[in-house]
Amino acid sequence: MAEENEIIIKLESLTKRYGYGDAASYALKDFDLTVKRGEFIMIMGPSGCGKTTLLNIIGLLDAPTSGVYLLNNEPASRISARRQARLRSKKIGFIFQNFNLIPDLPIIENVALPLVYSGYHKTRRLIRASEVLDRFNLKEKEYYMPFQLSGGQQQRAAIARAIVSGPEIILADEPTGNLDSHSSSLVMEELKRIHSEGNTIIMVTHNPTLTKYATRVINMLDGAIDTDIKTVKDSDLPVPVASRKKKPQKSLKKQKKSKNKKKKGKK
Amino acid sequence: MSLLLKTHYELAKSSLRQNRTRSFLTCLGIGIGVASIILILSLMGSISSLISSQVSQMGSDLIVVRPSSTRSTVDSVVNELTSSTQYLKSNLTLKDVSLIEKLNNVSSVAPLAVSVNSLQGDDFVPSATIVGTNANFLKIQNLTLKSGTFLREDAKTNTAVIGAGLANDLYGTDEPIGKSLTLLGSRFIIVGVLSKVDDPINFNNLDLDSSLFVSAKVLNQIDNSLQIQQINVRATNTDGIEDTVNLIRETLIASKAGDTNFSVLYGEEITHPAGTLFSIISGTLAIVAGVSLIVGGIGVMNIMLVSVSERTHEIGVRKAVGASFSNIFLQFLFEALILTLTGGFFGLALAYVLAFLISLVTPFAPYISWEILAVSFLTSFADGLIFGLYPAIKAAKKNPISSLKFWG
Repeated sequence: MAEENEIIIKLESLTKRYGYGDAASYALKDFDLTVKRGEFIMIMGPSGCGKTTLLNIIGLLDAPTSGVYLLNNEPASRISARRQARLRSKKIGFIFQNFNLIPDLPIIENVALPLVYSGYHKTRRLIRASEVLDRFNLKEKEYYMPFQLSGGQQQRAAIARAIVSGPEIILADEPTGNLDSHSSSLVMEELKRIHSEGNTIIMVTHNPTLTKYATRVINMLDGAIDTDIKTVKDSDLPVPVASRKKKPQKSLKKQKKSKNKKKKGKK
Repeated sequence: MSLLLKTHYELAKSSLRQNRTRSFLTCLGIGIGVASIILILSLMGSISSLISSQVSQMGSDLIVVRPSSTRSTVDSVVNELTSSTQYLKSNLTLKDVSLIEKLNNVSSVAPLAVSVNSLQGDDFVPSATIVGTNANFLKIQNLTLKSGTFLREDAKTNTAVIGAGLANDLYGTDEPIGKSLTLLGSRFIIVGVLSKVDDPINFNNLDLDSSLFVSAKVLNQIDNSLQIQQINVRATNTDGIEDTVNLIRETLIASKAGDTNFSVLYGEEITHPAGTLFSIISGTLAIVAGVSLIVGGIGVMNIMLVSVSERTHEIGVRKAVGASFSNIFLQFLFEALILTLTGGFFGLALAYVLAFLISLVTPFAPYISWEILAVSFLTSFADGLIFGLYPAIKAAKKNPISSLKFWG
């Protein structure tokens, strides 16, 4: 079990500075963090303490000014931009406070978006997106446009998008910030369920009542960790369920290829 | 890779659909540019094929002798346009005509000494085309007379044959036989009228309907500076035509003491000077039309830049969920290409509708060739590529974090 919960993210004296000289301000300063697979981390702290910057760096959207970020033991600085993009589509799922659905695309295509960039055929994309939406009780709203959905429904669609390609890490930036308490608890239940399947979740929030869902609560102050409390032992963290380890579904092309291989093998 | 391209194509198509009017107007800009180029190319093609078909109608036994090289440069063709200098340059003489007449396999020879002069008939025509030739001209050109006779070698007086159009200008009738006119101070009697040909574009560069035909010999006596622009020869036998061409060439070189400043042409080559002239004219026109293509391209770039800035947030979202630089770049480049290629397609259609309308009032039939199709495809493709490049790079370079904060 200990093997399953290997270190997935390791940050060593990570610094993110904006501006130079007298105008320099630090979003993160000598930040150290080790995240194990299956952790549900909640990051709290006042506005401007660097929470979002931290998520952006972990999500490979931003690069630190200095320090080391090891993603699956590989220095992120050595990962090419192209591979970083591929990792974002396959291994990392983003959930935002303002949902960030593309307003011109129907819900199903919004959910299928990460699959576009991991090489799935259109039919496969939509089938997979539909499956995930079904899980979030949004199947009958598949072809609605985002503006036709309530905030809670939009956020659930956004979560569906975040997990559609079966990522290992889910980064949520105040996912309940724009939601009422009912929608917010629905969303948290979804995240809890995703976590129980063995996913690693790092979530930024201002709401202290949500910490009950977390396995670890980090309080940040001025770009550094103030307090770091683990509420669940490492050994009790959920392990990835067998199905989670499987790829969702191969693209049609890949399937054809593997079929061809099989045929060739038979010959 | 093909899956990726197909995906980009789908993405581009759907985002263009969201702005139908804008996409249509942008296409229209490209379409008009492509249409003007295609229209010019089509007209040029139809003129060339018109001349070729005339030459093939004339028969494969036609040989033409022209002064100077027909492998013309732009300069020499422009000189032909400003014709007076060319008249002076001609080194063909009436002696050459009689030399060729005596050769084997030559059935008939007619010189063409074209000049422009004022004519006084019943009315005054300040500038008419005067063609100095001989009796064979009618036969060589396969022309028919509306009335009267053609020039005769044994004519005792100065006779002239008139084109139907010029007859109307000079006498107000197309039956002026027996009437007289004054050319270069000499009196000529009209003995024949040509049937209307309605062929303003031909390998002789002559509008036969508005020309006056007189004997080259008589013209030479009146005006010593007679210049022969062309000698038309009919061979007796088509089989040996290459030998005949060589024979004419050698005979002329020998008689001119080695002067090779003339060319002996047959078949397709005959159309060359006229073809080159039109190529240059239409080439110039096509360049002018190309300007409208650039304007259309700038329109595409403008719209793409607007689109990129409007969709900054979308770009941010796409990048956050895994779009790479090349994903975004290709998506926007494909949009530009779809715009210009669709525009090019409409332009092609528009050009042929216009070419058809033009063909109703002119002898130029719409002309389609794979070169024209290729030009329309390539120009619109290049337009999309060139003018779509910068917006696509701009889109792909956008920072995902600041893009996500952007709400257009």
